[in-house]
Amino acid sequence: MTLLLAFFRRFLRRKRALVGGFVAVPATRLADIGVTLTVGAALNALQEGEGVAAVDQALVWMAVWAAAQALSSFCQRWLIVSNSRHVERELKQDVFDQLTRLSFGFHDRSRSGDIVSRLTSDIENVRMFLGPGLMFGLGSLVMVPVTLVLLVRLDARLALTMALPLAVLGVGFRWLTPRLHAASKDVQEGLADISHRAQENFAGVRIVKGFARETFEAERFAEASRTNRERQVRLGRERGLAHAFSISSSQVTFAVILLLGGLSLIDGRLGYGDALVFVDLTLKLFWPLVAIGWLAGMYPRATASAQRIQEVLEEQPEVRDPDDPRELGKLRGELEFEGVTFTYPGADRPALGPLDLRIPAGSRFGVVGPTGCGKTTLLHLVGRVHDAGGQLRLDGVPLSELRLDELRGALGYVPQDSFLFSDTWSENVAFGSATPLPDGRLAQLAELVCLDEELASFGDGAEQLIGERGVTLSGGQRQRTCIARALARDPRLLILDDALSAVDTETERRLIDHLRAAGAERTVLIASHRLSSVRDADQILVLDKDGRPLELGDHASLLEADGWYAATWRQQQTRAELEEL
Amino acid sequence: MSRFDPQVDDELVATKAWDSRLLWRLLGWARPHRRRFAVSLVVLMALFAVQLLGPYLWRLALDGPVRGVSTGEVERGAALEHLLWICGAFLGLVALQGWLSYLEVAQLARTGQGVIHDLRTRLFEHVGTLDVGFFDERPTGSLVTRVTSDVENLAELYTSGLVVLSFDLFKVAVLVGLLFWIDVDLALVVAALLPLLILISLAFRGRARDSFRHLRARLASLNGYLQEVLTGIRVVQLFHRERLVSARFDRLLEPYLQASLRALFYFALFFPAIGLTVYGIQAAALRVGGAQIAAGSMEIGVFFQFWFYLSLLVNPVRELGERYNVLQAAFASAERIFRVLDTEPRITAPLRGDGRAPAAADPDLVRFEEVSFEYVPDTPVLRSLSFTIPRGQTVAIVGATGAGKSTVVNLLQRFHDPTGGRVLFDGADLRDLDPRVLRARCGLVLQDEFLFEGSVRENLALGREGVDQDGLRRALEMSSAAELVEGLPGGLDHPLSERGAQLSTGERQLLAMARALAGDPELVILDEATASVDSRTEARIEEATRNLLTGRSALVIAHRLSTVRRADRILVLHHGELREAGTHAELLRRDGLYARLYDLQFLDED
Repeated sequence: MTLLLAFFRRFLRRKRALVGGFVAVPATRLADIGVTLTVGAALNALQEGEGVAAVDQALVWMAVWAAAQALSSFCQRWLIVSNSRHVERELKQDVFDQLTRLSFGFHDRSRSGDIVSRLTSDIENVRMFLGPGLMFGLGSLVMVPVTLVLLVRLDARLALTMALPLAVLGVGFRWLTPRLHAASKDVQEGLADISHRAQENFAGVRIVKGFARETFEAERFAEASRTNRERQVRLGRERGLAHAFSISSSQVTFAVILLLGGLSLIDGRLGYGDALVFVDLTLKLFWPLVAIGWLAGMYPRATASAQRIQEVLEEQPEVRDPDDPRELGKLRGELEFEGVTFTYPGADRPALGPLDLRIPAGSRFGVVGPTGCGKTTLLHLVGRVHDAGGQLRLDGVPLSELRLDELRGALGYVPQDSFLFSDTWSENVAFGSATPLPDGRLAQLAELVCLDEELASFGDGAEQLIGERGVTLSGGQRQRTCIARALARDPRLLILDDALSAVDTETERRLIDHLRAAGAERTVLIASHRLSSVRDADQILVLDKDGRPLELGDHASLLEADGWYAATWRQQQTRAELEEL
Repeated sequence: MSRFDPQVDDELVATKAWDSRLLWRLLGWARPHRRRFAVSLVVLMALFAVQLLGPYLWRLALDGPVRGVSTGEVERGAALEHLLWICGAFLGLVALQGWLSYLEVAQLARTGQGVIHDLRTRLFEHVGTLDVGFFDERPTGSLVTRVTSDVENLAELYTSGLVVLSFDLFKVAVLVGLLFWIDVDLALVVAALLPLLILISLAFRGRARDSFRHLRARLASLNGYLQEVLTGIRVVQLFHRERLVSARFDRLLEPYLQASLRALFYFALFFPAIGLTVYGIQAAALRVGGAQIAAGSMEIGVFFQFWFYLSLLVNPVRELGERYNVLQAAFASAERIFRVLDTEPRITAPLRGDGRAPAAADPDLVRFEEVSFEYVPDTPVLRSLSFTIPRGQTVAIVGATGAGKSTVVNLLQRFHDPTGGRVLFDGADLRDLDPRVLRARCGLVLQDEFLFEGSVRENLALGREGVDQDGLRRALEMSSAAELVEGLPGGLDHPLSERGAQLSTGERQLLAMARALAGDPELVILDEATASVDSRTEARIEEATRNLLTGRSALVIAHRLSTVRRADRILVLHHGELREAGTHAELLRRDGLYARLYDLQFLDED
């Protein structure tokens, strides 16, 4: 409940709408009761033998009540539910923003299907409870006491006896709620699983098909779907119990009215009109009770969902801005590693380090080593993707004492997986720059990454849509676009994570020349599998397969040292010589 | 992002106001579950009967003992006893009603979920048969929506939509009949006003339908963007563009909010309109009934029964609109689901024959004959390409980016069919082969090494029959991945997360190699698989591959000349055309395109 209250606070922000809604809800119910009382009075008058004139007068009052009811009924729904839609929007934005803030550790741990369902169905569950749920709940809160008071005034003994089934109802729901809660949580998880499986299969369709795995995957999916069905059926049974419970208790109430009301009628203590009012009011009491039952079914779902949303909102980014950040001033781009290590959570030995390095501003730094040796991890540490152990300083300031925007604003990062948005080519490149690109800059960048000719061959040039709804770029074109994106921000530090692997050799050669000419003062960090990409670097770090530094030096000194680098270099050279034959 | 909204037009499916074709199709899915539906209907009928008996008991009580005492016809004691009997009967009804209410909800859930399970698994299975091009054309997120929320919308359709709606109609008919049975004059008044209720529902439904369609379309494009940002979260954060993507998300949220407010507005209008009409009907009944009571031509108990039946009648009629909404939302979802189900894969197993190639009919395992291909009309990617892969030989394709190398793989795996010419596997046109049989005979390693959530073992075996422990071990040895797997906690049983996120690209690639080798393929297809593995591992893989290729055929696509140098035959592709072909030595002697590529590579490594 406290969880939902936290979300309820968001509702209170739009006060005017909410006040209007809060007025409209009881107004709707009271006008409805007004109609009933009018009809009852008319019938009583008939019983007294007052004739049709009494009925005609009642009809006028009925019209007034009815009009009031219609107006407030519109207002309550429009004001309260639209408020819930506004809150939904805010909540989606907040969760989305939080997701963009959370560190990579979180995203590596979570399944994207699960996160998507938190932002979609979970928010919908909370919205339904706090929007329509609140409206009906509040209506019931007004309706139940008012109706009860009226009933007590009509016949106190009768009305008090009716409280008994209501009490039973309350106790019953206490028993049912946890069961409903558990069942609906299971269902939510089942649905998330289905979504996840579909996501994974559709994204990996080439592998699924390439390995003729369709049937196997279909069977696994059918299994997930079957589990979901069983859980839904179980939830259905729990809801059925709740439904049966609320129906029975209200019907027992009618039995009581019939018995005691019948007695009062026999003894003449109650008029026919009063009896009709009694029954009609009880009927109107019945719907709020059903609404309470509905809410009781919804409540566990909403709290389970609220909890899942809150989990995301309360998740602390592992990598955060410092409380007391230090200003860098004009950035030079010097990096220092002092005893830097990194261990992945749950791992028993470090994936990288200890490293002691100094990368002077404007120098080129290469890192090589066998697969899985931590090259990417090292580059990630510079962008504070994870926080490293030891000291990692930029221009003498520890990274953890810098604001993230200042640190990352200085980086131009080219990822290994060449992620691009389904958007125009130009939007993708402009993504790299915090400020709008000046005229001609886009063409300049295209030329710089040797993509100008290919770009011209696209139907819309730089405005060509790429990705899911546009043209499919080849691996090399994607990598070059990623480089253009990184250069768009004119970074002090350029970080290339195996960023040229899919670019053909001729283009690679030109591109490297361009990069060299365009950014002499830039610090460049390159991770690569090919030694040729780092041979010009001022320093080359060789990591062993456990992420420990093996060798450090420039190309010539490493050859002289005759270690891993020299052996690998000779291997590559021997192959080249063989090719010469 | 500003200029296009990829999902919206795909989502804006135009549904007709009442689509009986769609309805029949939906009913078709319910057919296998007709017994459950029948049980649900029986439960609802019984419940209805119980509901009808309640007011009748009231009439018995009021016009029997109560009126009897007031007119002095019946003694008080006898009247009380009579009343007690009626109340006892009423309590019996209550118990029955409780039980039936439980059955109603539980049974409807069981029934609806049964159909949903069928539909969902069938849909998923069908999507699995669709061409790769189908997936390339649309965002993954919108396809996921088909098997998740669209299917869930149908769950409501089958329960509250179809069963309860048809039952409500039945209820209305019975209740109107009963009203006429009780009092013709009163019933006539009600019957005259009932169409008004139906008219309001009708007027409402068109607008509700439109607004729902828009709402769903906006939601889909919102979710598509979310999915994309989650995939690229590293780039977003390292570029520190959180605020930019947040602003874009906001720009997608705004139309979503507007669409939902519009739908809400119609709802907010609908309920008061219905409410007013109901009051109107009640007022008319009161006027006519009141006149009759005043004139002494009607018993007050009869009026009570009439009044109760009237309230029973109003609810199903009022809910017709609600049900109709469920139906509408479901129709829009159904239309989208059926559109996917109706998409026929162009690439299918042949109707005749078993889809297997005649054994060893051709000395060349693979033959491309004058093959042309274009993804988009008039932009050829391959032009009249001819080459063969003789049995047991390795053919390498080299060429600049965009030369059409990956397209050759796509055609060979029959992810697409050529637009001109033909591709032969084992002497048979690929179009005469079952693509699954074809693909099972090939071992594929793609640029994008996709791993599934599951254990390493599952990822290597991929559910293929005949891939046993020994086979896996061998494959791991041959692809130099054995050491990697042994280093993982749990070894082969180590769980991989979605897309194998905790492994490095090179490690994923090693596993992808092992995965291809585990199937003991006749044809190995490597698409730039060696690009980002370090050269030591690459050397090991090369060696292992050479062992493996003895007695096997292979197609290797790579930019690195060193990896294709040992191929039996090298094809040089340029702008989709075969420019040169021959062995490494021959091509070097020719001093053409290959020699140029080679020179560059040589410069690079010297």
